[in-house]
Parts: sequence; C-alpha cells; structure tokens
Amino acid sequence: MKDAVICVQDLSKSFGNHEVLRKIDIEVRPGEIICIVGSSGSGKSTLLRCINKLESQTSGKILYHGKEIRDVQREVNEYRAKVGMVFQSFNLFNNMTVLQNCMICTRKVLHVSKEEAFDRAITHLKEVGMAPYIHAKPSQLSGGQKQRVAIARSLCMNPEVLLFDEPTSALDPEMVGEVLNVMKQLATTGLTMIIVTHEMAFARDVSTRTIFMDRGYVAEDAPPAELFSNPKNPRTREFLSRYLAG
Amino acid sequence: MGYNFWEITDPGNSFEWMIFLTKKYLSMFLEGTWLTLYIAVLGTLLGFVLGYLIGIIQDLRINQGDFFVKRVLIRLLKLIAAVYVEIFRDTPMIVQAMIIYYGIRQMGVNMTSVVAGILVTVLNTGAYMAETVRGGIGSIDMGQREGAWAMGMSPMKTMLYIVLPQAFRNIIPEMANTFLTNLKMTSVLNVIAVQELFMAAKTVGGNYYKYFESYMVIAVIYFVLCFFFNKVFIFLERRMKGKDDYALAVEYMDNQ
Repeated sequence: MKDAVICVQDLSKSFGNHEVLRKIDIEVRPGEIICIVGSSGSGKSTLLRCINKLESQTSGKILYHGKEIRDVQREVNEYRAKVGMVFQSFNLFNNMTVLQNCMICTRKVLHVSKEEAFDRAITHLKEVGMAPYIHAKPSQLSGGQKQRVAIARSLCMNPEVLLFDEPTSALDPEMVGEVLNVMKQLATTGLTMIIVTHEMAFARDVSTRTIFMDRGYVAEDAPPAELFSNPKNPRTREFLSRYLAG
Repeated sequence: MGYNFWEITDPGNSFEWMIFLTKKYLSMFLEGTWLTLYIAVLGTLLGFVLGYLIGIIQDLRINQGDFFVKRVLIRLLKLIAAVYVEIFRDTPMIVQAMIIYYGIRQMGVNMTSVVAGILVTVLNTGAYMAETVRGGIGSIDMGQREGAWAMGMSPMKTMLYIVLPQAFRNIIPEMANTFLTNLKMTSVLNVIAVQELFMAAKTVGGNYYKYFESYMVIAVIYFVLCFFFNKVFIFLERRMKGKDDYALAVEYMDNQ
C-alpha cells in the first residue's frame, strides 16, 4: 500500500445517469507495466483520464505516493508534471515545431534552462528516432511519427508514470509497429506505464499485469500469462475468444 | 501642358470642384485623415486587448476544489463581461458616443472629444472582439489543451502558449475586418465634434455649398485607406502561414 505510486481507491464516475466507472480499486507499483484491455465503452479511457485528472471522479480518490490529489488546480498541475499522458489523437501543439513541442513544457512548467531543455528534447527524440525532424511541424508528419514525438515530449518531463490512451488506435497497421516498438523499448527502462490498448499481443508480451474491464468494473486483474491463457471471469473468456477468433 | 488640374482657380464641373476643394482645404483633409487613422488604429488595438481579455474571461472554468472567493470572483467577472458585451452589441455606436461623451461631461470630468471617441471605439471593438476571440478559442481542438494540461501546464499558460497563438491566427481575417469597419465607423464620431474626415467634409462642403463634391473627396480617401490596409493584411496573412517544407536536421541523422 505504501509503496504504491498511484492508488485508485473506490473510484466511480458517471456522466449524468450513465455510470462509466464503478468502484475501481487499483494499485500501481513502481516499474509495473499495466495494460488495460476491454471492449469499447467499458470505461478504460475514462479511467485513464480520471487518473490524469482530465476528468474529475464522481466519488473515490486518486492517491499519489499515499497523498490524495484533490481537485485544486495547483496540486493537479504538480501531479500531472509527474504523471504524463500520451493520447490517441497525439495532441501535438500545431503551432510549434517538433523541437518546440518537446521544449515548451520543460521550459514553462519545470523551468529548466534552455540548454537543458534542448538536451532533453534531443535525447528523447533520438530514442524514438525522430531527432532529424526537429524543424518539422506536426502537420508535416505521419501518424506514427506524431505519436513517437508525443512520447518523446512526455519523456522530456522525466515522468514517474506514463499513461497511454490507445496510442495506436488512430494509426494504420504499418505505423502501429513503430510505435509499439518504441513502447517496448521504454518498458525495459523501468518506467511505470499504464496502457489502454486493443493490441492483445502487445499486452500479453509486454505487460507485467493485465486488467480486463467490463461495463465499468475491473472484471479481472492478473499477470498476462494467467489472464490470457486461463481467464477466470466468463466475460474475459468471451472477450478474448472473440478477439482471437476475429 | 496647357491644362493643369492642380492650378484650377475657377472650377466648372464636379471633378474640378473636387480638385479645387482638396487643394484649398488640404490641411483640413489631411488632419481629418490623420485623426481618423489615429482613432481607428489606437481604438482598434486597445479594443483587441480588451476583446482578448473578455474572451479569455468568458472561457474561464471553475474547479470544484477552488476556494470560495475564487469561484465568486470568476462568476462575477463572467457576469460583468456578459453584460458589457450585450450592452455594446445591442446599441448603435453613434448612440454610445453621445451617451459616453455627454455622460462623462455631466459627471464633471473634462474629456476631449478625441479621447471620448477613442473610448467609444475601444469599448465597441472590445465587445465584438470578445465574441470573435471566444469563437476562435472554441475552434481550437480540445486535445491541444489536454496535451498541455497532461504535462502539468496551468490553464492560463496553456491559453497563452498553446491556444491563443492558434486562435489568433484563425481570427486574423476577422481582426482585419474589424479594423476596416472601425476606420469607416469613426465617421459617426462627428456627432461628438471629433474633427475627423466626415467632419472635415461637412465643414468644407458647407463653405461652398458643394456637399456632393466634398463627400466624394472623403469617399476616395476612405476607399484608398481601406484598400491599402486590406492589401497589407492579406500580405501579412500570407507571410504568417509559414513555410510548407522543412529542413531535415541532418546532424541527427546518424547514431540512431
């Protein structure tokens, strides 16, 4: 309990009468790579957005190192600087080049020096293979390239946890591979990651823990070897069989 | 050259009258032009600042966890902004000019008509710009903000560095439009005795009972001014679009 980086406690979220998340309890320990799978509308993305405070929960708590993150802008900002997020739609800043995208938040949020921000940007852009494109604007890049820049941009903040919200869902099959490779490489660095994905093979091979969500509940939470080969929940079984068949 | 338009002393047709009046009252027309430009430029620029402020206020959001004072303050600001925008959008500028000029004078403050004219232009522009800015902000995809928020950037900084620069670019044509409108709308300020172009034409026309010719002169001046600025704005807009290509940073091509 104490050594958990992020702790989701009894979290519920509803949009009007529609309950999206129901009493979620998840503990995330350092170095864990958690993949969240489940059918569309099961609340995976909403859970991730609640963890990053982009949605405020209806009830329950998010704890960061045992401390509750309240809905106060200052606390939320400090917390987010530590818990980065990569989006399905990339969300690169359209008015800036790749390099500026990677430097703006380290400069304006962490207040590091220009040289330091530049070095960080180049280091992480190299990691994702996008360093030659520092002068390009987001609109001039392919989807896979954009997503790799978005990952580098998040890494520049030296986050403790990185959240991925369906990072490959907006990409065509050829580009999915390049992004997944970057993520696989990241997984070996010890960074704590929570990944919402539809890539079952990736979840099986890379995650240290897989969570299956169904209608707002955590239906199953187990190591991937167990969840994929011997699912306990009938809904998990149904979902996986459909996935493997289709 | 036996015939020189500029040297006419006994004008016959309307065209000759226009030349004659322009020459005779050149300093008056020039001063009118200068004042028109001065009020339009200053009023528009300050109005833009006001419009951006109001637009940003209208976009403020209240967090559930915010302190009571902050929540009340934001609500109050939003209310003031909404009332201001409605009042100035729903009344004619010529009426606003009268009310502000005479209202302030009645309060015992000695305000020159030029200052009052600028004030009216600023307030009027601000109200319209607020709506334009609000629309411009709304046109920027929510993901742009979420991308910044998710890295810990505060909503204010996000607005400043991410949203406004993009919104600004989107509303440049509308801002150009507003300026051109203001350039022409300064003509109503003659009702509070601002010596701008319209006032000049009125005075000049009255001297010789040549109203048609006199107003034709300022029509030409307005046209030239607007035409010129329009071209300048189109040029600037093109310049701001930026390059379509980019240079690969070859120094980082290897060791990947």
